[in-house]
Amino acid sequence: MLGKLALAGIKNRRRDYLVLLAGLTMSAAIFYMFANLATNQAFLKANAAISSANVIFGFGAVLLILITVVYIMYANSFLLSMRQHDYGLFMMLGATRKRVGELVFLETLILGTIATAIGLGLGLLMSKFLVGFLLNMLGLHLSHLTAVYVPAIVATGVLYVGLFILASLFNLIKLTRTTVLKLLHSDELANQPKVKPFRQMVQGVLGVVFLAAGYWALASIKALQLAAIPIALVTITLGTYLLFRATILMVIRALRHTGWAKKHLNGFLLGQLNFRVHNYTRMLTIVSLLFAMALGAITVGSGYHRQLPMMAEKIGTYTVAVHDKNAREQKLIDQLHIAHQATYTQKRQGKTVYYNASELAQTPVELRAYSNSGNMNDQKLYTESLKKFKKSGISDLDFLSLALGKVGAYSPKILTAKQFAKQSGKVVTVTTVRVKNLQQDLPALKKLNQLETARFSQPGTMTVGNYQNYEMMLAFFGGLEFIGYFLGIAFLAMLASCLMFKILSGAPGDQRRYRMLYKVGVRQSLMRHGIAKEIGILFLIPGIMGVIDVLFGLQMFKPLMAAPMSPYLGIGSTFLIFIGLYAIYYLITLALYWRIVLPQAPND
Amino acid sequence: MTTNTVVSVSGLEKTYGKANERQYTALKGLNFTVDSGEFVGIMGASGSGKTTLLNMLSTLDTPTKGDVVVNGHDVTKMRGNQLADFRAQEVGFIFQDFNLLESLTAEENIGLPLALKGTPSKVMDQAIHEVAETLSIADLLQKYPAELSGGQKQRVAAARAIVHHPAILMGDEPTGALDSTSARELLDLLTTINEQQKMSVLLVTHDPFSASFCQRILFIKDGQIGSELRRGDQDRSTFYQGILTELGTFNE
Repeated sequence: MLGKLALAGIKNRRRDYLVLLAGLTMSAAIFYMFANLATNQAFLKANAAISSANVIFGFGAVLLILITVVYIMYANSFLLSMRQHDYGLFMMLGATRKRVGELVFLETLILGTIATAIGLGLGLLMSKFLVGFLLNMLGLHLSHLTAVYVPAIVATGVLYVGLFILASLFNLIKLTRTTVLKLLHSDELANQPKVKPFRQMVQGVLGVVFLAAGYWALASIKALQLAAIPIALVTITLGTYLLFRATILMVIRALRHTGWAKKHLNGFLLGQLNFRVHNYTRMLTIVSLLFAMALGAITVGSGYHRQLPMMAEKIGTYTVAVHDKNAREQKLIDQLHIAHQATYTQKRQGKTVYYNASELAQTPVELRAYSNSGNMNDQKLYTESLKKFKKSGISDLDFLSLALGKVGAYSPKILTAKQFAKQSGKVVTVTTVRVKNLQQDLPALKKLNQLETARFSQPGTMTVGNYQNYEMMLAFFGGLEFIGYFLGIAFLAMLASCLMFKILSGAPGDQRRYRMLYKVGVRQSLMRHGIAKEIGILFLIPGIMGVIDVLFGLQMFKPLMAAPMSPYLGIGSTFLIFIGLYAIYYLITLALYWRIVLPQAPND
Repeated sequence: MTTNTVVSVSGLEKTYGKANERQYTALKGLNFTVDSGEFVGIMGASGSGKTTLLNMLSTLDTPTKGDVVVNGHDVTKMRGNQLADFRAQEVGFIFQDFNLLESLTAEENIGLPLALKGTPSKVMDQAIHEVAETLSIADLLQKYPAELSGGQKQRVAAARAIVHHPAILMGDEPTGALDSTSARELLDLLTTINEQQKMSVLLVTHDPFSASFCQRILFIKDGQIGSELRRGDQDRSTFYQGILTELGTFNE
């Protein structure tokens, strides 16, 4: 009988349960997506350019587990707050605590298991879609990457069901220790946080100190090595939490005493935030960290995506070298945005390749000045006189690569025009092309390179021209780029559903308040604006903190992205896209909130 | 319509349920007026239609038929923002369950109707402190509703209801959740407000004690006005006996 009652109770609150289930499902799905990458050793070994990727994933996993624990805790308290009135009623009707306890335990566990199961399914689909989409967009090929990875499925299942068993036990204990009356009237109080100025001062100062320590750790990753990451994680988390605790309440308190607070619904807005932000401090801290990690990961990923061509451009002197170009290749070359082009005639005999001095004099070979400063921007292109070239330039690796045989490079010799005419040997013409912007011409270059390598085989360890350099670097750093994008999107989804869920879980309580406002005669539009502001502020606080975190956190990638690459280059557009996605989440939350909270006028 | 009529109800009908479903008529052609400065009670048993009537008067619900004119505004013709503004400016409410916003202090709760109008904060402070003096809650202004007793909460609610000088104060069982001392205090306060500020009061109740503070009582039965009782020159306790007698025969 009690089971039936419980089921009826759930039916009555279908919508709340749906929100809860959706939130948990999303969480499980995202965790699976992450675990799919993090636990796939073969994939990591094959694609992560740096050995520390494993460690980074380790920290990521720990962090994600912590977030999941907190998330489930929130979800659980939401569940309990929804149900405790019913449970209180059952006890009042004479059900034993033991019986009600069983119900609580089962309900939590069943809900959790369903959410995990659906979440895994969703995670598989999302992995498949996202992996396909990202690889396609980035033009990458990564080995050992599949959407279905059994160890990840097991890890996700075990973690979630385990956590839900814990949550059920927690609910059981909490419920059996609370009195019936408290259960019946639990949702009528709004706690008012006390402000203790001295303690808050200390908290604020400590928060700033911790944040500074964290940012310093990130910037000095070269000295601290991998220790920088856990140090930064702990200090930034603590710092953010303390700073939020210390400042947000103070600001709201201060605002409440101004004239601004006495206009329209502003006072109500501040009152709402006042008791809400206190509950939200932990959540906002986590969200700001997730925001930072998501944005950071995407920024780094897109940094590689945009900057690898730039890096490749600075190595070598020409983009592609085409031997005995045919009509199809000429057509492709015509599509390129050419900065410099040269064509030389070669005569190959034995292990020697002969060049015509007059051709070399007419279009001198471009050389690159490799400086010792390590700054690639200093490495300018130059040409030298034929006489000088014969001495030094002739041994330039890029020049040697123009004539590659099966075993290696032919050794070049420069003959005068007359001697060259007499010289016997296989005649080959080679055209070198340097494009203005590698990124711009990538599709045409790719085809050109395919045609070239199909006709002339070259030793596997050698690259000719900086397009091939780029391809090699892509294979090397592409894994990192992919991980950046993937994690960024996963973290964003996680953070937004965390925040959305937490905010929505407060909606039923707000329903009553807005109903009161409605009765007192507050215009609908005023309520709408009020809600938009309130939720906007809750989204904005972690957003701002997250952006600051990222700006400092990118320091960490300076050693990995040496000049001319820079983790800070072109982050504006990445930030804009990311903030756009974040704003979409805000709008969805807002629309849902409006629907739950706003009272309907009688004649509508 | 004369200028000294605050509320005028004519032919008011309310039917619940859609046309093709089983319908229930809560109000069946109600007619009455409330004069300016009058203290009127509406009595009736549960389900007699008292609350439905009050919802019509306060625009929280729309009538099926008939007219409701409050302080010169025909509320049945209003829509959207007009309705909200009407509630905010012309009517003051006291509810059985207080309807205070627990996230705001007493002061902020009382100031809400003025804030909605965009009143300058100095004027607002003055109005709040004036009304707080009248209701002797000046020392409670900085407290949150959770820190107040039921009687104190209802006095704060009353302060919020009259701070913007509405045309009429409406109470829906305002003493329903109070102990007898607090209830008496509140009713005395309402009487004072009615007498000193000449504010019309409309009290919906099923409690004869509360009703005995009114000058005139309308008895509703099954959606119609069954009878009317005037206090005239009687003192309150005599009037109370009169109400009890009326109730005793009214429900037969």
